[in-house]
Amino acid sequence: MSTTTAHPVRQQRQLNAIGLLTGALFGGILAGANLHEFDSIHSFLRLDDLYIAWFMGSAIAVSAPILWWLERRGTDTPLGGRLALSRAKPEAHHVKGGAIFGLGWAIAGTCPAPALVMVSSGALLGLVAIAGIFLGLHLRERQAMRELVDLTERVPVRN
Amino acid sequence: MFELLPDRLPWWIAGPTLGALIVVLFVVANQPLGASGAYVQTSGFLRRRTGVATWRVWYFVGMFAGGFLATQVFRSGSDIRSGYDALRDAFPLGIVIPLVFGGAILLGYGAGLAGGCTSGHGLCGTAQRSKASVAVTATFMATAIATTAVLQLVTPL
Repeated sequence: MSTTTAHPVRQQRQLNAIGLLTGALFGGILAGANLHEFDSIHSFLRLDDLYIAWFMGSAIAVSAPILWWLERRGTDTPLGGRLALSRAKPEAHHVKGGAIFGLGWAIAGTCPAPALVMVSSGALLGLVAIAGIFLGLHLRERQAMRELVDLTERVPVRN
Repeated sequence: MFELLPDRLPWWIAGPTLGALIVVLFVVANQPLGASGAYVQTSGFLRRRTGVATWRVWYFVGMFAGGFLATQVFRSGSDIRSGYDALRDAFPLGIVIPLVFGGAILLGYGAGLAGGCTSGHGLCGTAQRSKASVAVTATFMATAIATTAVLQLVTPL
């Protein structure tokens, strides 16, 4: 992490460039796999065409063992410190959030990343999907803020 | 413009390439490739909040740009369209728009509550062997498949 304190501005620029590049590659792969098409998503959810299962499964099958090995041997990343993988335990909000997300996935026939590719491919109703995703995230953020305020008001201040 | 990409890449090319991209972002920046997080940061950026991870805003722009390159430049180009032909065959536009909007609100709210979406939990979280991500992924897969089955029963879809 010593380079972080040495060149914070340059590091930020590099991170931004990495963001743009990985985003573009991700968007390109999703488009290449046709995940921006409602039919691709729906034929998977109808279990008529398991392409998405193979697509996601093979991405995980390639990345999981490499990430496991990289973390075990200890890897210092140039822009993010030591590689540390998340090992979060499942909680109620994960299952609730997943269920609500799944409902939306089936109805809207897209998810956050493919919705962006929809629009750049000329599918205009993707804009409606993007607006809805922004609104939904915002509603959850506001609710989380209120819960936080309630919590801090309930906890007595110790002097 | 050009016809460099086939209509659909075989999964055994698209999937492992995506897997390699997930590894690259971890090796370079120790970060997961999550899309809903990029929405949150972009929303904060547009509302001029402080503490925004600007690289996630660039990532948001990148997904859009990459989709444009792949569909309009590397393929012959796709037309301006609704993108929801199957829904539009089944319902009038006055129903399709609120349906898509409502579904998308659920997507956003659910991703916010779960702390990630198909990319953050489904791909990167399971690739990290996070039990929480496996729980989220199993839940949204099961719910989406069940909801689709119900929609097919009760609607002309």
